[in-house]
Amino acid sequence: MEEFNIEIKNNGDIAKLYLNGFLDAHTSSELEKCFEKLIEENKYKVVVNFEKLSYISSAGLGVFMAYIETMRGNNGDIKLTNMTEKIYNIFDMLGFPILFEIYNEENTALEKFN
Amino acid sequence: MNSGGNNKITITSSTKNLSAVRNFVEHKAIELGFDSNIVNQIILSVDEACTNIIKYTHRFDENEKIEVKIDVRDREFRIILKYKGRDFDPNKMTEPDMNDYFNHFRVGGLGIPMMKKFMNKVEYNHKSPNQNSLTLVKII
Repeated sequence: MEEFNIEIKNNGDIAKLYLNGFLDAHTSSELEKCFEKLIEENKYKVVVNFEKLSYISSAGLGVFMAYIETMRGNNGDIKLTNMTEKIYNIFDMLGFPILFEIYNEENTALEKFN
Repeated sequence: MNSGGNNKITITSSTKNLSAVRNFVEHKAIELGFDSNIVNQIILSVDEACTNIIKYTHRFDENEKIEVKIDVRDREFRIILKYKGRDFDPNKMTEPDMNDYFNHFRVGGLGIPMMKKFMNKVEYNHKSPNQNSLTLVKII
């Protein structure tokens, strides 16, 4: 089985999630749990760093769709950064840049929150 | 997971086995010389197809199985999934309007559109009693 894990770092009121490995229908529940925990802690500003994510299927994409409204409804957002070309192509092909802000650099996403 | 010769594996119907299917298909696609972007599209399509079977046809019942077979002929890379269960042809599903999808924060339903976008053909065949085959074809 391929691994997936998330490292969480806080930057003031912004949570930074570092995704690592393979995000599919088996591992996407880990990401869901992570968003649930952030909501419990009233943290609605999230930057997701994809630099070390090797793979994403529609189950992974679905997690972002499931939480974006809640985050924005509480003056937050989910901003996506540091995608490899392979991962960006999947988001782009389905039209995700219509709804999500996607940046090359994590710092740009952080600045947009401030 | 059981290997049945070089061109076939059989998995129990569980999402924990998706990575084994991806690795099996990836290896064969690389051997055929597809570039890495196309390889990723092929393995995503197979992942989406298997995920749908596991979730919606088998409802996570690990007593069920999915056979994944690869057949290369007539310049076609064919991945054939054989499994038991109800009749469901992904070609008959209406594709979502993506503007509406994002405007209304919809979740799910993207697996079949991805599969159809990435592969040249998606062929479905249902035989009684409850024998299904789903074939994903990429032109070489």
